[in-house]
Amino acid sequence: MSSKLSGLLSATFAEPAYDHLVELVHQRDATAHRRLTSVRMSAHDAKGREVLALEVDPAREIFDLGAALGARSEPRVMVLFDARYDAAIFPYRPHHYAYLHARGAADAPLYYAVNATLGGVPDRIGATNINNIETYVFRPRAFAERYSVMLGNVSRFATAQAQVIAYYGTERVGHQVEVPPKAHAETPLAADLEGVRLSRVETKAPFRLASYVVGRRAESRQLVLFDHLFTYAK
Amino acid sequence: MLARALLGVRRERTYYLPWIVRPGLECTLLLSNVEARFKEGFTRGPCPATVIQYDARGRTVGRYDVSLRDPTDAVEVGLGDTPGHGFAAVVSDRIDSDLYVTLSDGTSYTATHGRHEFVEHYPPWTAAVLAATTALLALAGRTLPAFARDQYVYVGPDSRSHVLVMNLSNVTNRVRVVLASADGAARRLLVRLPPRGTHLLDVARLADPVSVTRACRLRLEGNAWFNLYLVGAGARDLDGPLSLMHVK
Repeated sequence: MSSKLSGLLSATFAEPAYDHLVELVHQRDATAHRRLTSVRMSAHDAKGREVLALEVDPAREIFDLGAALGARSEPRVMVLFDARYDAAIFPYRPHHYAYLHARGAADAPLYYAVNATLGGVPDRIGATNINNIETYVFRPRAFAERYSVMLGNVSRFATAQAQVIAYYGTERVGHQVEVPPKAHAETPLAADLEGVRLSRVETKAPFRLASYVVGRRAESRQLVLFDHLFTYAK
Repeated sequence: MLARALLGVRRERTYYLPWIVRPGLECTLLLSNVEARFKEGFTRGPCPATVIQYDARGRTVGRYDVSLRDPTDAVEVGLGDTPGHGFAAVVSDRIDSDLYVTLSDGTSYTATHGRHEFVEHYPPWTAAVLAATTALLALAGRTLPAFARDQYVYVGPDSRSHVLVMNLSNVTNRVRVVLASADGAARRLLVRLPPRGTHLLDVARLADPVSVTRACRLRLEGNAWFNLYLVGAGARDLDGPLSLMHVK
């Protein structure tokens, strides 16, 4: 084992009735490099209460999150992966990805990058400056979709006062979101404001939060968009 | 880098995005320069850009000139209604933001972003040597493994990954694909991509039928620079809604 282990705390959100397979490592070259040193998975309800915790076999490449959560009653949990690893596993950045599909749905599965929420070694994240102002742009035409932003606080002690700002042409609508440690919230974004379409959203927080922009089919509420926002002010 | 210099290979910085058009599925790019809001001296418009659309055979099938009024402007570029796939290059001196590619069935859309990388240009003599060498290797189902990518792909009873492989060079790219199943068995395929061409790889045809969704290991090796996007398909496979996703 290396004496210079790196750490990564990454975070996602999970809802019932989805196939949700999380890649614990970035598949690359020799099998020996694919192994994490340790990884602990925990799931938290909206108030931050830990509802499930598992020591995951670090030799696993894929973690079946949908199976691990089973038929839980929470409508949404924040899932944290607290990993220790040799830096050779992640050659570019500590990216890892996940596959997400509503069981039985005709919709396309989504494949997304799991949020790297620091918690370890910021110099390996590639964003050592401000990384808590994020942006996402929406298509200007109307769709039968409902948009929102999911924010989760991965810190152990500090409550975060975050802002979610939705832009409609030259108008803006701000939402204040308070997320205690390990708590999370989904902030809906109105699709239009007095006939003007939602054009983009920004999130601002005192430190890095788990953040995803979400689009759901209006009828089924199933996810068609689950993506990271973009950090530009860095 | 030394090998590239010896071979005379030049890398041209290029922002590219994948595209797929299917019956009932439109592909639209969403261009913006919102990052410029945070850069002193770059906040004024207009910001012109040209989109060049290449099809699977590497032919230019579309060219679109657009202009962004200011950093908060966003412009849609529809990539036509002719079924096909390929990649689109966005040429602009001023755009720094990540650009989006969206797929829509008319009621909702999925989205991902493009990549700011490069396209490789090989001089004629290097291209000729490469063509002769890789043609010989192809007889044995092999290629010159100058570049390699590893990628997890997914196969399930009602969803699956396809892979859009993009040849980001001006030479023919023979890409060797190896899919490793859970039982350790490997399926192999050699794909020939024309310059700037693409191939939509149907992973499910290489994998055994499954009752639950599972991941497979995919390895690709090519004789020139290439990259890939995952294409997500649901129960109706390529006839239904699709998603695109970039990978690092």
